[in-house]
Formats: sequence, structure tokens, C-alpha cells
Amino acid sequence: MLLEARNLHVGYGDATAIWDVSLDVDAGEIVAVIGPNGAGKTTLINAMAGLLRCRKGDLRFDGADMTGVRAHDYCSHGIALVPEGRRLFVKMSVEENLELGCYLASARAHRQESLERVYGLFPILRDKRRQPAGELSGGQQQMVAIGRALMARPRIVLFDEPSLGLAPTIVDDMFDIIARVRQDGAAVLLVEQNVLKALDVADRAYVLEQGRIVSTGLPADLLQQPHIREAYLGV
Amino acid sequence: MPSATLLGQALISGVLAGGMYGLLALGLSLSWGLLRLVNLSHFALAFLAAYLTYELGTTYHVAPWWAAAMIVPVMFLIGLAQHWLFDRFKVNELASLLITFSFAVILEVAIQLYWTADYRRFETHYSTMSIKVGGFYIPVLELVLCMVAGLLAWGTWLWLRKTYVGKALRAAAEDADIAAAYGVDHKKLAYLLSGMGAAYAAIAGTFIALIATLAPTQIWAWLGVVFAVVIIGRLGNPLGALLAGMLIGASESIAMAVFEPAWAPVVSFSVLIAILLWDPEWL
Repeated sequence: MLLEARNLHVGYGDATAIWDVSLDVDAGEIVAVIGPNGAGKTTLINAMAGLLRCRKGDLRFDGADMTGVRAHDYCSHGIALVPEGRRLFVKMSVEENLELGCYLASARAHRQESLERVYGLFPILRDKRRQPAGELSGGQQQMVAIGRALMARPRIVLFDEPSLGLAPTIVDDMFDIIARVRQDGAAVLLVEQNVLKALDVADRAYVLEQGRIVSTGLPADLLQQPHIREAYLGV
Repeated sequence: MPSATLLGQALISGVLAGGMYGLLALGLSLSWGLLRLVNLSHFALAFLAAYLTYELGTTYHVAPWWAAAMIVPVMFLIGLAQHWLFDRFKVNELASLLITFSFAVILEVAIQLYWTADYRRFETHYSTMSIKVGGFYIPVLELVLCMVAGLLAWGTWLWLRKTYVGKALRAAAEDADIAAAYGVDHKKLAYLLSGMGAAYAAIAGTFIALIATLAPTQIWAWLGVVFAVVIIGRLGNPLGALLAGMLIGASESIAMAVFEPAWAPVVSFSVLIAILLWDPEWL
């Protein structure tokens, strides 16, 4: 397994937000975590990215124990985050945002090659590379956020609500890109409220409700479950 | 209305004097803009450096540039030590204002204990030297100060824009968590920047020793003006700090020539308020 979480508990201050979560992502896999607003999806993915400490449980990446690793060392293991709301460095140019993705020496050595790859994936970003990232449209900003993650040459990309706040046509593009990321060799952990889209692109999925995994399986099987159909698809 | 020659001279003197505002503003602007720490003790550190330059020069006859070469590394270490305290006690923006104010008071008292409250003047043969260009007098020391300030501001600006460390600092100032997710060790970079800020204070201090009359209470003399300069120049923008310093210096000097010297202190904040009301794109 590439990413292995076992009985993970995560929280803020006194409040625990994630209870006893176990989850796996294998190399080359797209795994989706679906669930309603406030279920703890962002908390879970931020813990995987090292931004939040795990209270209890075990988090392993490619066999290495990650629970004691400092936040700024997660990236060097090959984990890259596309955060909720994009969280670009809005005062910095598009290209500077991308360059931050390859801040670490190992990724920096491939800066030019990675830049070409990102500009190949998102040609519009090449035209806008000198503009402050904050001036771009929502969809373009999401491209920068994904590009920034790819610049790190990650082994897994963590996507947190990539479709949030985007126009429907752009949402389709984003899911195409997620499939491309996997084709290029990285695994994907995807957290989404857009259940149909997420289950369409994923190999496996987990259902997170009120901080706990309540169901797991293949997308096709999950779509057959009455609870999922009722709660997420309204049928 | 004063003559054109007088106004021209006032403009030149003002821009050159403004170089000192810019040099003092540089370190303050960096730590405020990029670390969200408002370091009031910046002025006290500059004066400590000034007194050390004075002491080395008058007692041991050390030339000011050699004195600076000794003091700057020491101040860098003091900057690191200061940041260790900020880091250790998780000091935020508001608390930094209070804590560094107390640092400044402690340093003021320490300076007063050692050097007394008497006015001190470091006399050098070049302190009054000036060159004459087209009917205007240009004081050499202040010209050198402006060149040093210009090089520092420009160098720092390039460093922030062109190097990975500079970009990482700017990114972390916007979103420290996400910068960390891409490998930026903000803590380590913050130490570097704090050391640099204190080193810049030391460079300013060396020039203060040569240009100004030293007294412990003078620590506070430039506080208001330099704060205005830091804001006008935009937080964390070294070139902005220098240009704003020169703008304020020139405005003060012209106000003194056109009205009377008593008007000078009003100028910096009038310019600040005017610019904040105007709210231009670049601010």
C-alpha cells in the first residue's frame, strides 16, 4: 500500500473531528472519500497532508511512519495537496505559485520539465504566467492549484473538493485532469461532495459521515446501497 | 515664496535625508510584512549600533566601516536571539508591538546607564564634507548612506523576487500552512529574516552615529516618521520603503523651506493620510 491510515483520530483543540478512520490508497489508484458537509472530509485530507496532527492511530506512507513527521517534511515523501478553496498565494504570479510547488531540491532539479508539463496540461496558464494568481478566474485558479501540486512530482495527490465553486463545464474538465494525473503515474485521494462525479472517476470509495467511515467499496456497489441513493442522490 | 535655488537645495537635502528613513524602514518593513511581527526595538537596536560605532571610534579609533563590519554580525545574532523569544512564546502581531516596546525601553535604559543621557557627537573629518554640483551642495556622507540604502533595498527586493528562499518567505506570509505543505520550513526562514532585520538596523546605526547627535531618548525620534514610511512603502516591500523614505524626506524638507521648520513633523502623517484616502492601485 502507498498510503495506509489505521484507526486514525484527528481533531482541533479539545474537539475530535475524525474517529477511528482506516483507509488505504494503493499506487496508481484513484480513491474517493464522499460525505456531506461537515463530515470531516477536509480534516481527514489535511491530516494526510501533514497540516493536522493525528491524535491516535497510525499513518504510513510507502511503509514509513508519518505520525511524527513535521508538516514541511511531508512533501519530500511525495505527498502533494490541492487544498479546498485552492489557497493560492494570490499576490504572487502564476509562475511563482507553480515554482513554490517545486521548492524542494529534488523537485527543483526538474523545474523546467515540470513547468512544461503543467503548461501543456493548462495552456492558458502559460499566457497568464506573469499575472498575480488572485486575478485569475475560479477555474484558472484551480488549474494553478493542481499545477502547483504536480510541480512537486508527487507520488500521491490529495484533492480537496476540486469542483467546489466551479461552473459545471469546468467541473468536467477538473475530473478529466484527475484521471490524467493518475495516467501520469501518481495515485489520487479525492474528497468530494459531488458524489456522482467522484464515484465516476474513482476505483474505490469510502463514505464518511460525522467523522466516521460508514461504508466502503467499489463505486458501482456503493451506488446500489439504498442509504447512499437516498442521502446523496435523492432517489 | 523661496527662490528656485533654495527649493532645489531643499529637495536634494530632503531626498538624501529620506535615505535614512528608508534605511531604518527596511528591516521594520521586512519583519512586519513577512513575519507579521512589528519590531519597535528596531530603533533601539539601531541606536545601540550607533553608540557602539561611536565608542569604537572615539575610544579605540576604529574606522566606522570596520566598526560596522564587527557590529553587523553581532546584531544578526541578536536578531536571532530575539526571534527565539518570539518563537518560544508564540508572539503574535499585537503582542510583538508590546514586547518589542519593552525591549526598546530596556535598551534605552541600558544605553543611558553606560553612555549617560549626555549628547554625544562622533566627529570625523568627513562628516561635514560636501560636493558642489551645479550650484547645489550635496553632503557626501548622506550620499553614501543613500547609495548603501539603495543597494540594500534593491538587493533585498531582488532576493525576495528571484530566489526560492525569497519566494518561500512571500508565500509563507500569505499562507504558512500551504507553504509548509510544499516543503517550506517557515520557522527556519523566519530566523534568517529576523537576523537580517537586526543587521539592517546595525547598518542604519553606523550612519546615525556619523550623521546625528546621539542621546538615549533619540531612539524614539524617528518612530512616527518611519512607521509612516513603512506603510506608504507597502509592508514587506524593500524598494517601496526606500522610495517612501525619500518621498517623506523631500516633502518635509520642502515644507520647511516653504513654511517654517515647525511644520516638518506634520508632513509625514499628512502624506500618509492623503495616500490612504487616495488609495491608489499600487498601495
